[in-house]
Amino acid sequence: MRPSALPIALFLVIVAVVIQTTLFGEGRVQPLGASPALVTVVVIAVARHLEPEPTLLVAFTGGMLMDLLGASPLGLWAISIVTVAYLTIRFSRYFDRGIYWVSVGIFALAFLGNVVFSIIGTLFGQRTLTDSDVVGLMLLPALYSLILAAGIFPATARLIKRQRDSIWRS
Amino acid sequence: MFQRFDRVLALFVALVAVSFFLATFDVRAGGSGIGSVMRDGTQALFAPFQRMASSVTRPVVGFFDGVVDIANLRDENDRLQRRVEDLEPLIRDAQELQRRLEELEKINGLEPPGEVSAITARIFSNGSNDFDHVRFIDRGKQHGVVIGHPVIDDRGLVGRVDDVGKSWARVRLITDPRLGVVVRNMVTNETGWISGQGDGPLKLEMFSAVEGASEGDLIVTEGSRFPPDIRIGTVLKAAESVVGFSLVTEVKPEIATSQLDFVKVLVGWSPLASSPDGSDDLETIEGDRG
Repeated sequence: MRPSALPIALFLVIVAVVIQTTLFGEGRVQPLGASPALVTVVVIAVARHLEPEPTLLVAFTGGMLMDLLGASPLGLWAISIVTVAYLTIRFSRYFDRGIYWVSVGIFALAFLGNVVFSIIGTLFGQRTLTDSDVVGLMLLPALYSLILAAGIFPATARLIKRQRDSIWRS
Repeated sequence: MFQRFDRVLALFVALVAVSFFLATFDVRAGGSGIGSVMRDGTQALFAPFQRMASSVTRPVVGFFDGVVDIANLRDENDRLQRRVEDLEPLIRDAQELQRRLEELEKINGLEPPGEVSAITARIFSNGSNDFDHVRFIDRGKQHGVVIGHPVIDDRGLVGRVDDVGKSWARVRLITDPRLGVVVRNMVTNETGWISGQGDGPLKLEMFSAVEGASEGDLIVTEGSRFPPDIRIGTVLKAAESVVGFSLVTEVKPEIATSQLDFVKVLVGWSPLASSPDGSDDLETIEGDRG
C-alpha cells in the first residue's frame, strides 16, 4: 500500500480540473477547435502509482468535479473517466512494455473516454452526437492528450516519488 | 489475483451504477434538487480558484491566440480590404436609412432594445469540455441575475442564463443544440426558430414561411423570450419556401464565441415567460410542433 500517493494524486486531479475549465476550451487554448482531455491524462498518469481501488475513487472524484463545473448532468464524466481508469488498471502491464504501447494506450484511452461521454450524453439528452464536428471533438483531444502526457507522466512520477521520499525521511 | 480483480470490478460497477443513478436523478430533477445544491456549492468553492487561474493563464491564451493568428493575418487583411471597398457605398445608403429610422422612432415613440437595463459581466470559465457550449460569468444572484436573463455583447445575442449562484451564473450559448430562439427575418419579416449545432453555423427553420430567405438576410430576435431586434446573424445560404414543408437553412452567428470576454446581462428584461429550467426550450417547442 502506498498511502502517501493518494493525497498528491487527488491534488493533481483537482488542479487538472481547474486548468481544464479555465485554460482550455472555446475562446481559450483550443487548437483546431478541440482541447486536450487533461483530467483524463492525469488520471491515467496517477493510476500507475496508486493501488486499483484508490485509482477508481480518484477518477470518480475528477469526473464528478468535471460534471459539477460543467453543463452536463451529474455522473456523465464520472462514468467516462472511471471507465478509462478501470481499463488503465486492467491493461497496466502494457505500460511497462515501452513508449509505443504507452502512446497507443493513452491515445486509445483518451479517445474512448470521449466516445463513452458522447454516447452516454446522448442517452441522457445532451445532443453531443449532433455536434457538427463530433468526430474531430473525439480524435483531436486524444491526440493532444498524448502530447500533454509526455510532460505529465514524468512530472507526476517525480512529484509522487518526492512526496513518498519526504514522508520516509520524516 | 482473481480476488483482487473481483474487488476492483465490483467497485468499478458500483461507481458506474452510482453515476448512472446520479445522472438519471439530475436529468429528472431538471436542474434543481440535490444536483443543483451540489453544483452551487462546488461552483462557489472553485470560483475563486478558477478566477485566479483564468487571470494567470490569460497571457498564455493571448500568446496562443497571437501565434495562431499570424498565419491567418495576411489573408484576413486582404479579405477585409476587399470587404471595405464593397461596403463603402452601402455605408452611405445606411446613413441615409439611419436618418430616416431616427425620424420614424421619434414619430412612433419607439424604444430601442438598448433601453433595457443591463450589467456588465466577465467570463471566467468555459465549462469542462468541448461539448459544453456554456460560459460562466462573474455576476450572480447578488447582482440581480436570474435564470432566463438574456446575455448579449456588442455584436448581438450571446445566449441565456440557465443556472445561477450567489456570485456566478452559467450562460448557455446560442450555439448550444439545446437552446432555441424564436427569430425574425428583418428583410421578409417572416418568423422562425433558430437552434445551435455546436461549432457549426446555426440552424434556421421557418415552418409556415411565405417568402424565402436570401443570403445575407439579417436575423434578429422576435421578442417573446428575448427582447426584440437583438442581432443573431445573417443567412448563409438562400432557401425557397415550399408549401407544406418548412424552410431550413443556416445562419452565421454575429457573435464570435471564441472571442467572448465581457458580456452584458439584460437584468431589466423580465424572463417570466421563460421555462424555469432553461434547458428544455427545444424539447418544449418540438413537443408543441407534434
